[in-house]
Amino acid sequence: MTSEPEEQENMPEGDDLVAAEYVLGVLAHQERLAAGRRIETEKAFAVHVTRWQKHFDCFSDDYQPVEPPAALKSDIDRRLFGEARQLQTPSLWSSLGFWRGIAAASLLLAAVAAGREFIPFPRQSSGPMVASLEAAGSPYKTMAVFDPRTDMLRLKMMEGEMPADHSLEIWLIADNGEPVSLGLMKRDGPTEMPVKPAMAARMRDGVRLSITAEPMGGSPTGKATGPVMASGVVRTI
Amino acid sequence: MHQGRQILETAPDDLSKLISRVAMRDRAAFDALYRATSAKLFGVCLRVLKDRGEAEDALQDVYVKIWNRADRFAVTDSSPISWLVAIARNHAIDLLRARRPVDDIEEAGEIAEPSPGPERNALAASEARRIDRCLEELDPPRADAVRGAYMNGESYEELAKRHGVPLNTMRTWLRRSLIKLRECLQR
Repeated sequence: MTSEPEEQENMPEGDDLVAAEYVLGVLAHQERLAAGRRIETEKAFAVHVTRWQKHFDCFSDDYQPVEPPAALKSDIDRRLFGEARQLQTPSLWSSLGFWRGIAAASLLLAAVAAGREFIPFPRQSSGPMVASLEAAGSPYKTMAVFDPRTDMLRLKMMEGEMPADHSLEIWLIADNGEPVSLGLMKRDGPTEMPVKPAMAARMRDGVRLSITAEPMGGSPTGKATGPVMASGVVRTI
Repeated sequence: MHQGRQILETAPDDLSKLISRVAMRDRAAFDALYRATSAKLFGVCLRVLKDRGEAEDALQDVYVKIWNRADRFAVTDSSPISWLVAIARNHAIDLLRARRPVDDIEEAGEIAEPSPGPERNALAASEARRIDRCLEELDPPRADAVRGAYMNGESYEELAKRHGVPLNTMRTWLRRSLIKLRECLQR
């Protein structure tokens, strides 16, 4: 290896090479930060990075596993779940009054629109349940309202548009953590679906609903396969 | 090697499922994912940072990221373990770059490069053969620079010092190597 002067003068340029340098990890701090920002904002650059990463992925086999200290996991849990509880600040989206209003309006609207009769909420128990479904980094924000008297579930997308090439599937996360499909979001307008008695019985305070992007027509396997677009916990109001 | 076996025993499908459930905020799945992968990811952090305390802090950050970004996994076409290793490796390199004006190259040179692990799975093997074959087409020192940079998180600055050339010369060499590599990989 000799350093001919002309080598310095003819340094090859191009985004693809910067992407490769990012993946290799050779960039200096500021350059690396800049490249990291480009991954988030420039699709073409992110594609270069992904391709190089795939080429180098097999090197990762050569990292030898080393057992971390046992206490580390509880530190992680404390950071994630200890803080999360303290950081929860009430927002309009999570406020009870907002949901009561939305739920009432939604049921009323649905009744009027469908020309059907809805049994009014019983005053004493089993009031409507709501969930606000969202996910970090996802454009989708959906509200779900479940009426335990009629076992009807209504969902309305508040933010985000239906993807043209995917179906959005709604899942109830069962006690064992396995998602069970409740059905697909309608492509236009609010979704309204009857929930089968077996699933309706599981619809209670604290269970989680999630929406995933699945192939058109829904998951072919009956299990959630696509990315989670929105997720939220059901609350009785 | 016990942990290596553990990763092998957790099939890629199972890891994918665990990550999907983590995206749905399933803490039991998060615990299981940690049990199956933390030794591998700690190995990555240690190899790059070469400091136990820093690697422990980094590993915490990495699992916080995994919890927060799990919903992104399904939109990538990476294998689950590649996706996880990339998060750990990128984070460790970020920390390394933020920490170090190059001071101590000897330290990095001492870390022996282990031979390819026996745990290499069949799926990765075809891709591995391809990149190894393409690296063989480069001059050996340049192939070593590429591999060393990837595995140890070496910067241009460190590589230049180690090879005794100016930084821009190192960069020119490496970029030319990458171009050759790209041509070979696209064949």
